[in-house]
Amino acid sequence: MNIYDIVFYLFAAITLASAFVVVTARNIIYSAFSLLFTFFGIAGLYVLLGADFIAVVQLMVYVGGILVLILFGVMLTNKITSVQIKTGTLQVIPAILGTALMAGVLIKIFTGTNWHSQMAQYPTKTTAYALGHILLTDYVLIFELLGILLLIALIGAATIARKEEKAS
Amino acid sequence: MEFNTIYNNLFYLVPEIAVSAFLLLVVLADLILGNNKKLLPYLSIAGMLVAGFCVMNQMTFSGAVFSPSGQSKSFGMVTVDSFGAFFKLLVVISTILVVFFSFSSEEIKKSTRRQGEYYTLILGMVLGMFLMISATDLILIYLSLELMSLSSYVLTGFTKLKDRNSEAALKYLIYGAVSSGLMLFGISIVYGLTGSTNLYVINTLLQSPQINMLALGIAGILIFAGIGYKISAAPFHFWTPDVYEGAPITITAFLSVASKAAGFALLARFIKVTFVSSVAPSGHWLLIPVFPWKELLIVISILTMTLGNFTALWQTNLKRMLAYSSIAHAGYLLLSVAVLSNQGLVAMLVYFAIYAFMNLGAFFIVMIIANKIGSEDLEDYKGLGYSMPFLGVTFGMFLVSLTGLPPSAGFIGKLYLFIALVDANMITVAVIALLNTVVALYYYIRVLKEMFLSKPTGEPVSLRLSPLSLILILVMLAPVVIFGVYFTPVVEFAKSCITILGM
Amino acid sequence: MNLIPIEYYLILSAFMFAVGVTGVLIRKNAIVVFMCIELMLNSGNLALVAFSSYMGSSAGQIFVFFVMTVAAAEAAVGLAIIIAIFRNKLTVNIDEINIFKW
Repeated sequence: MNIYDIVFYLFAAITLASAFVVVTARNIIYSAFSLLFTFFGIAGLYVLLGADFIAVVQLMVYVGGILVLILFGVMLTNKITSVQIKTGTLQVIPAILGTALMAGVLIKIFTGTNWHSQMAQYPTKTTAYALGHILLTDYVLIFELLGILLLIALIGAATIARKEEKAS
Repeated sequence: MEFNTIYNNLFYLVPEIAVSAFLLLVVLADLILGNNKKLLPYLSIAGMLVAGFCVMNQMTFSGAVFSPSGQSKSFGMVTVDSFGAFFKLLVVISTILVVFFSFSSEEIKKSTRRQGEYYTLILGMVLGMFLMISATDLILIYLSLELMSLSSYVLTGFTKLKDRNSEAALKYLIYGAVSSGLMLFGISIVYGLTGSTNLYVINTLLQSPQINMLALGIAGILIFAGIGYKISAAPFHFWTPDVYEGAPITITAFLSVASKAAGFALLARFIKVTFVSSVAPSGHWLLIPVFPWKELLIVISILTMTLGNFTALWQTNLKRMLAYSSIAHAGYLLLSVAVLSNQGLVAMLVYFAIYAFMNLGAFFIVMIIANKIGSEDLEDYKGLGYSMPFLGVTFGMFLVSLTGLPPSAGFIGKLYLFIALVDANMITVAVIALLNTVVALYYYIRVLKEMFLSKPTGEPVSLRLSPLSLILILVMLAPVVIFGVYFTPVVEFAKSCITILGM
Repeated sequence: MNLIPIEYYLILSAFMFAVGVTGVLIRKNAIVVFMCIELMLNSGNLALVAFSSYMGSSAGQIFVFFVMTVAAAEAAVGLAIIIAIFRNKLTVNIDEINIFKW
């Protein structure tokens, strides 16, 4: 077992264990904080896969952006009335059976397929150049589309969250 | 890809560019004009007219642009063809009608200060639909779907004065996000199997037999979950009634026609480009034997129409009843995809062209009546046929057409569907669809019965239609009546629009 | 030196996906459901990056970049809606938001 294997198992364990806590924790704050560890573990796996740029973006967007948003959501909805947010469960057993079945099928197809895999050794080069290049050539249309999507999200979130002026 | 290629490719994207430009114009005008919001709807309509004109110019185009480097020129990310142009025109027409609806909607008038956002989001939805209609790359499919969804989540919760409004938006968003998560996982499996996200490339790879069928099957179902959510097909339909009831009625009408049209265009193109190896001279598509699309689609469409029709039977809210009826219509439309032939495609286009007008018309009349009596409950419609004779009669005509009785246009839509079904030897399915139509007859007629045969409960209300509403109703009624007897032009037009660029 | 087989990453992603779906099905709190959706998206992303690295093509990684942007946009809109509801109703449990019935 070399150092790469150890790193993989470490991050995989962090990711899965904290993902499990997200779903099962009774307190919503615990869920939010273990989501942080899931995102962090995934970022570690991205580094191991040689996707350095994506790993950095994962930390910036997910941990720095989405998680902070979610925490804000938790705090705002918690504090306004100091009502305890209940965290109950619905139809636990059928849901778990269904998902166990799904995980089984997915693992069966994932282990039973010959994926084309050309990687011979761990990559050492940075991917930022290649990604930047195709982002502005092959995928320039989608890049521009994302600009509009973010504008729409911005306008939409502001409209919805703004207090309605009752007078008008 | 060189700059010159990108520049040349832009020529094919003129309608999308026009929509984006007008979207930005609406945002800017909203900022510059301050409190005077009168101009904004006209600006959106102008944008739609320009986009519609550009689409008309593209009617005869066919080509795929934005091909990934290293791939042949004909493998593009965006495909422009007559099939796409048809659906884009449909989206343009329904957008213009919905913007006109918004003029007379009390719900939208109440939020005067946020008019700019309303029209921006509508144009955002239109851009998303345009790209969905012509997308041939899984990445673009995912993103255009998300663009459309994000705008529609916000529009659903737009008025937020009533509780049910924001709740509908939350339900829509949560189920939508789940289905897009499922779709993403499906896309990642397809990417792993084929090493590409381009549908044309995937098609050529699928023709080689060493693909793992189970993996592809799971991926196909997961991707269908994402698309099926948008067209409210059976296992993914449960958001529809709540969202349709909770959203402002202009948006309900828009969702039930335009976003459904975009979803169906995406589904048909996805199946045709990815899974069809060739088209037989008789017009039937030969599927690559990797995934049983036909069986899956038939089961889902029968489930969808039966569920929609039977649940509609005991609805007391008219908006909710129309929501279930639109689920049922999605079932009929899915059958036209399930036929997997050019005849099926013609049936789908004819059906959609007619469905757009009759559904928008029914929702518009429900809106006018709700503006007046402040309710959409069937209970409050008692005797309305006498106090508002014109609305009663026109509403009746739209409902008869939605049922599919001759001589209305709805009958022509169903007729072509059944011809396509019989042509493909799917007699049993055709019989089930026919029985479903009989069930549908009951709940549509029940509305008419309440309107014309029941005694009014409260004091009679009278309603004076504004000239704009009158013109709008007539504009939507005309195709419903005319296409019922003189349908050759629609059918000819549909027949000229079935070219999906593919194998 | 032996590489970790791609299947390991995929199995991890399958488990995460299943955990996320379970969460969506069993949890009532809208914000927790939202977190579970993020888990689902992350599992898809992990599979995409694994495929992309092992195949040596960049398309998968660029897709992940796009998905992250969309996820951020969706989170912003989602939480705005949750706050709007909370303002009206003072609850964010999906169960209690039930003006609607079947």
